[in-house]
Amino acid sequence: MNTAHIDDLDRIEMDDGFVWRPIRRRFGIRAFGVNAYSPREAGSQVVEEHTEATYGHEEIYLVLRGRALFTVDGNEHELGPGELVYLRDPQLRRGAVGLTDDTVVLAIGGKPGVAHQPSAWEWMFASLPAGRAGDWGEAIRISEEGLADQPDNPGLLYNLACWESQGGRSLDALLHLQRAVALDERFRGYAATDTDFDPIRSEPGFPTV
Amino acid sequence: MSDGYAILKLDDLGRYPSPLHDGSVLLPLRRTLGFTAFGANCWTADVGGQIVPRHEEDSGNEELYVVVRGRVRFLVGDEELDAPAGTLVHVPSQTTRQAFAEEPGSIVLAVGGTVGEPFTVWDWEAVVVAFSAAEQGRLDEAREVVHEGIEARPGFWGHPYNLACLEARYGDPDEAYSYLARALALSEDDVRALAATDTDLDSLRDDPRFKELFG
Repeated sequence: MNTAHIDDLDRIEMDDGFVWRPIRRRFGIRAFGVNAYSPREAGSQVVEEHTEATYGHEEIYLVLRGRALFTVDGNEHELGPGELVYLRDPQLRRGAVGLTDDTVVLAIGGKPGVAHQPSAWEWMFASLPAGRAGDWGEAIRISEEGLADQPDNPGLLYNLACWESQGGRSLDALLHLQRAVALDERFRGYAATDTDFDPIRSEPGFPTV
Repeated sequence: MSDGYAILKLDDLGRYPSPLHDGSVLLPLRRTLGFTAFGANCWTADVGGQIVPRHEEDSGNEELYVVVRGRVRFLVGDEELDAPAGTLVHVPSQTTRQAFAEEPGSIVLAVGGTVGEPFTVWDWEAVVVAFSAAEQGRLDEAREVVHEGIEARPGFWGHPYNLACLEARYGDPDEAYSYLARALALSEDDVRALAATDTDLDSLRDDPRFKELFG
């Protein structure tokens, strides 16, 4: 049986203080988005502040355990187990702080009227532990897995280029970064200050601002 | 719902013992909030009762079950699982699944969708809510639910047919004939096939108007 307990899910800590607990990726779910989140500790972010403007998703955040203080469009709502916030409007800014160490929030999302496509950030997040450990090969493998799913996603190309740059694959890094910039000019600016690219910054063809 | 979002307690959802699902009680999350990107509903049951109805997903949906509260015993294929709160169970479409509540107040959240296709809101939710409400004596609520379906899909025979069943079992037989005629006009073959053995219509069968409609 394909099963897991929320306490058995991977824990991938993010810089904002929230911990991603991958569910969709663990089970290989393709029809909808679903993940869980925990705070690093009581008082840390449990749902990162964001909108769904990029993906157009409607979302549900259900508190499975503990307590969380949600801020939605500037309004605060403290929720406990069995309580949820549903966001129909993707433009609304949302985020939450975990009020107890053991807080777990389940997030479900999708875009109405279209077949679900996994969000590219999942591969970016998933490659972080390997990248932090300097296991460039594994970080690159996970990023390439994302690109196989979404070949023209500039964020995935950029992320892959970051790992390749640090892993000594300079030519691959340059090519993927150039392609990311060609698809979305904003990545030219990001690369200008991203220290991940220091190893290849002086290479001919590095995108300049 | 205000300003594009809503706060909800699962305990505040209506409770609809499903006449179609052997005692499982539907807490209609999707219908209450109105989201359409994916399917998501909650189920509860008395201790020992069926909380997740035994079924396969003929629609092709993959499903994720989340034990939100209590304790549940899952049967998936030929495997059994003791599932405390916080357990996640992923089930592909063609696998038979069923679950039973093991503790009072158990709640299972079921999330579903079809890979590679936009989510479709199926009419079973409205049928369960309508017939459960009627069974509990809330016929006006039941009628309103089915009428919403008719307004949403005026060309679909299933809604007037369901309303005919509802009126035949719980309400006004005259209305039942009227909705049966309407359903027949939309899809005679489907309605004839279903009505031939549907016990919801048994109270009508001896009436000359029934014979007039079906010959």
